[in-house]
Amino acid sequence: MIIQMAFRYLTGRKLRTVLTTLAVVFGVLIVFGMNILIPSLLQAFQANVLAASGLVDITVTSVTGEAFPAELVNQVSGIDGISAWAPSLDREINLPADFYDGNSAVADRISAIALVGIDPQAAPTVRVYHIHSGRFLEAGDTSAAVISQSMADALGVQPGQSFALPTINGVVHLQVAGILPLQPRLLPGNEEVLVTLPQAQQMTGLQGKINIIDLNMSTTDEARRRSIQQAVEGAVGPQYHVGVLPAGSDVLASVKLAQAAFTMLGFLALFMGGFIIFNTFRTIVAERRHDIGMLRAVGASRRTIVALILVEGLLQGVIGTVLGLLLGYLLGAGVLQLVGPTMTQFVHVQVGGPLVSPGLLLTTILLGVGVTVLSGLIPAVQASRVTPLEALRPPVAEIEYGWKSRAGFIAGMVLIALALLAIISQQLSLVLLGGLCLLVGLVLVAPALVWPLSSIFSRLITLLYARDGVAQLAEGNLTRQPTRSAITASATMIGLALIVAGGAMIASLLGTVTDITRKSLGSDYVFVPPSIGLWASDIGSAPEFADHLRAVEGVADVSTLRFASTQVKGQPISLLGIDPVTFPRVSGLQFQQGDEFAYRALAQERALIVNGAFLAATGSKMGDTVALATPDGARTYRIAAVGADILNVKVTTAYVSQANLKADFGKQEDVFIQLNLRPGADSPAAEQKIRALTAGYPQFKLIAGRTYIQDLLQQTTAAFVGLFIMLIFLALPSLIAMLNTLAIGVIERTREIGMLRAVGATRRQISRLVVAEALLLAALGTAFGLLAGLYLGYVMVSGLGTIFPMAYSFPVAGMLAAIAVGLIFGVLAAIIPARQAARLEVVQALRYE
Amino acid sequence: MSLVQTQNLTKIYGKGETAVTALNRINVQVAAAEFVAIMGPSGCGKSTLLYLIGGLDRPTDGRVIIDGQALEGLADQGLTELRRRKIGFVFQFFNLIPVLTAVENAALPLTLDGVPIKEARIRATEWLQRVGLGDRLRSRPDQLSGGQQQRVAIARALVAEPALVLADEPTGNLDTRASDEVAGLLRQVANTWGRAVVMVTHDPRIAAYADRIIFLKDGTMVDESRLTPATAETTAMWPGR
Ligand SMILES: Nc1ncnc2c1ncn2[C@@H]1O[C@H](COP(=O)(O)OP(=O)(O)OP(=O)(O)O)[C@@H](O)[C@H]1O
Ligand SMILES: [Mg+2]
Repeated sequence: MIIQMAFRYLTGRKLRTVLTTLAVVFGVLIVFGMNILIPSLLQAFQANVLAASGLVDITVTSVTGEAFPAELVNQVSGIDGISAWAPSLDREINLPADFYDGNSAVADRISAIALVGIDPQAAPTVRVYHIHSGRFLEAGDTSAAVISQSMADALGVQPGQSFALPTINGVVHLQVAGILPLQPRLLPGNEEVLVTLPQAQQMTGLQGKINIIDLNMSTTDEARRRSIQQAVEGAVGPQYHVGVLPAGSDVLASVKLAQAAFTMLGFLALFMGGFIIFNTFRTIVAERRHDIGMLRAVGASRRTIVALILVEGLLQGVIGTVLGLLLGYLLGAGVLQLVGPTMTQFVHVQVGGPLVSPGLLLTTILLGVGVTVLSGLIPAVQASRVTPLEALRPPVAEIEYGWKSRAGFIAGMVLIALALLAIISQQLSLVLLGGLCLLVGLVLVAPALVWPLSSIFSRLITLLYARDGVAQLAEGNLTRQPTRSAITASATMIGLALIVAGGAMIASLLGTVTDITRKSLGSDYVFVPPSIGLWASDIGSAPEFADHLRAVEGVADVSTLRFASTQVKGQPISLLGIDPVTFPRVSGLQFQQGDEFAYRALAQERALIVNGAFLAATGSKMGDTVALATPDGARTYRIAAVGADILNVKVTTAYVSQANLKADFGKQEDVFIQLNLRPGADSPAAEQKIRALTAGYPQFKLIAGRTYIQDLLQQTTAAFVGLFIMLIFLALPSLIAMLNTLAIGVIERTREIGMLRAVGATRRQISRLVVAEALLLAALGTAFGLLAGLYLGYVMVSGLGTIFPMAYSFPVAGMLAAIAVGLIFGVLAAIIPARQAARLEVVQALRYE
Repeated sequence: MSLVQTQNLTKIYGKGETAVTALNRINVQVAAAEFVAIMGPSGCGKSTLLYLIGGLDRPTDGRVIIDGQALEGLADQGLTELRRRKIGFVFQFFNLIPVLTAVENAALPLTLDGVPIKEARIRATEWLQRVGLGDRLRSRPDQLSGGQQQRVAIARALVAEPALVLADEPTGNLDTRASDEVAGLLRQVANTWGRAVVMVTHDPRIAAYADRIIFLKDGTMVDESRLTPATAETTAMWPGR
């Protein structure tokens, strides 16, 4: 009997049933689809971060440094926790003098080459190769190579053209397949030539051999990483060296952060999906109060009522969940298919296939069926408490004036306060949790804000639809159900908050990266030695070279780096000598502790500025005095500040004044030079003189800093824009939530619409009413979204700041995008319900119950 | 010339075996300022007739002429404008928009027609005062009694100065006293304010307020009776008349 009635209800109101089931489908789809996407994206992100840093989680090499059989890969690839692996064969090839230019009068721009044989399929899973023209290597390529832009410039070759390389079999000609742009890890002078593994093996006579295996782990958990490392060590045996990315390194930290952020996205999807289902179902059941009262009046017990709703909810929940799972999988796989190529092209991220875990499947099913039944049950239980008489009043569409639950408001405020406390704590995990608290808090507080906010926005819409009296109605329709409006707006809010927060994050990151890059490499000219960072192997120039440069007409400042190696507490330290006066003018450090005053300390005493890696390696902290090993015994230095530039973030580095470096280490060789012109100087003339001077010092490659930076920033921006577009996709579910609320609003008010048409509203006016309502709803959601997003963005930026210090940039682009997306979604969501409302036949609407 | 005229008005719902003839060749005429009641058993087609006259629905056959204008010649937009300017409606339920105040509800036909809000409010206020609700202008429907709600609906029906007011069981939801008040008010609409009123009702007592009663049965007109003020029992009912 109950089942029969439930069935009749479902089939009797087809549109409504379809809409509620659709809500379940969408809710499940979002949760499932998103969470299928996330692991693939995370993997891609990890590869990208590691690639940018030039590091991987684990590197396996032979203890002797010699090549070993390629089969070793099979022994490590299957280890649990290893998510990606790539074998390679690296070989340094020293070129004979004048190999490329054939001119002994001109200094060779390329004197050595690192030939790297890679597996074109495996390599991009470990690190990302940003091909900037041409294509990446493909399996089966013969005589094809990927080279860097600077090498292509030096050789004057383009994709499709070929160049020569000396090998054990004589000179081999390789065709350029693709070109990698300038990158910190591929700095000029340090030329890498990528070829396929078989090609490299053939060129070096090492058939079937490799000398490096790069591995990435799927976890950032320290204990788990250690056990994976041990498993790898066990698998390869003692004749191999297993190098691991050190714990606490900033690269690991940023991967960790990304993991947390993506997990949060997963939670948000869950939240949004649950919301959509809850809101829709709640509305439908609330609308049936009248029927429920009637059933109670004719003798149905409360339990019967609850059972009725339960059966209905279960039916819809199960059907919706099954459909949602199917569609969600299709969505996930489809997006990966679709986004994959574009991501590879623009963001240089290789995405894998969809990943479905049993846990995800279970969560999704529980959510789909559970939330549906629950969201039906709560109002049903409420309704079953209503006396039959009360429920039998003439069915006036339910209105809720003011928000009912003061408790909800208070709880919301408490959650928001907790979120605020979380940022103060500066604990990464707490900050992320706080973000979630904030969202829930806002959702709870939102109903109280619906009325004031919508009355403000309806003024704006009145301007748009002047003289129609429609805006007023739309406002009324929203404020009559503040909870429902707030919940719907909340879905929009979450979506848009993501955009704004993402925008803030990206703007800040971009701003900071630009800043650091500008600081470290922003001089007009940079004189780059063969290997950056590994200063010990570079031959520099005597101070005279810099002096000559200073003497050139139009040159304002010349700053140089000098190098000495030393030890602190037995740890090798790369010591860089700077001129405390000119260095900050031309280049500069990003300070994490202390500030620019440290330069003065460097000039006045034995003081150091050290980088984060130094602190970690030596276990010292700011203000400590440490003993530096010098040729004449130990010297004590004070740590005056902590900071780094982009060239030396990874290596344990300390900066001293060049005067101290000379006094204690006897070194005054310039290994890296940066030069700024005077503003308004005759740059072509100056450049000509500088080039002429540099010709005498072939160890330096002269590059114009601005061009270099532009190149680098262009790439970074492209990557971030891609990320941003992805965030906009994540806002899509809010569109569905809005559509549902509007469509249900239309169904619920069918009779009212009939009445409006009877007293003379045209179809256009009805349709505008719905659009106005949608715009109001969208405006609400956008307003909430901007608020939440600004906050979240700030939280994320400062949270990230503990790892990667950056300045907060106000996300103007993010906010504009959010507003645009909000409005577009509003209009889009309105299209179907507005047409539906406008098409209603007056008489049918009037007869509708 | 009569204000409302129907010629062989026929409405058939559905097709084939399940077809229902709701109205069968109805010919009625309503003069200006006349108060007509339509009575008949449930399902006889009263509402259908009212909807057809009001241009809310289209007949299967026959025609409706209002103020010399044949409705079949009008498109949806034209019908909507006709309703806005020439016809006022009062229904049994859902007469008012719950989110609007009494004035806003009463002003609706004007605001929908593009009359500036201020002016629309002034005119709506006048009508609300005339129906005796001058003190409840800012109340929302849920703060008004059933009778008061119907009075707001009558004010709304009159605010655009229409020639015709159509009411479908306006007292169906009210107690005796409120019903009398509403019926008396409709009487006033015809007598004092000179609008034609067509009212559907089940209640003979309420129908007796009209000038004329049309009886429908199974979609056909079966009887018509003209009430005269001289009728003894009716006089007793409207002391004001
Ligand atoms: N959309 C429809 N489809 C099919 N039949 C309909 C439809 N609307 C009305 N009818 C039928 O038309 C006939 C007349 O209906 P109508 O609503 O006009 O009756 P009524 O006299 O107003 O009844 P009541 O006094 O109960 O309101 C009824 O038999 C009804 O079942
Ligand atoms: Mg009827």
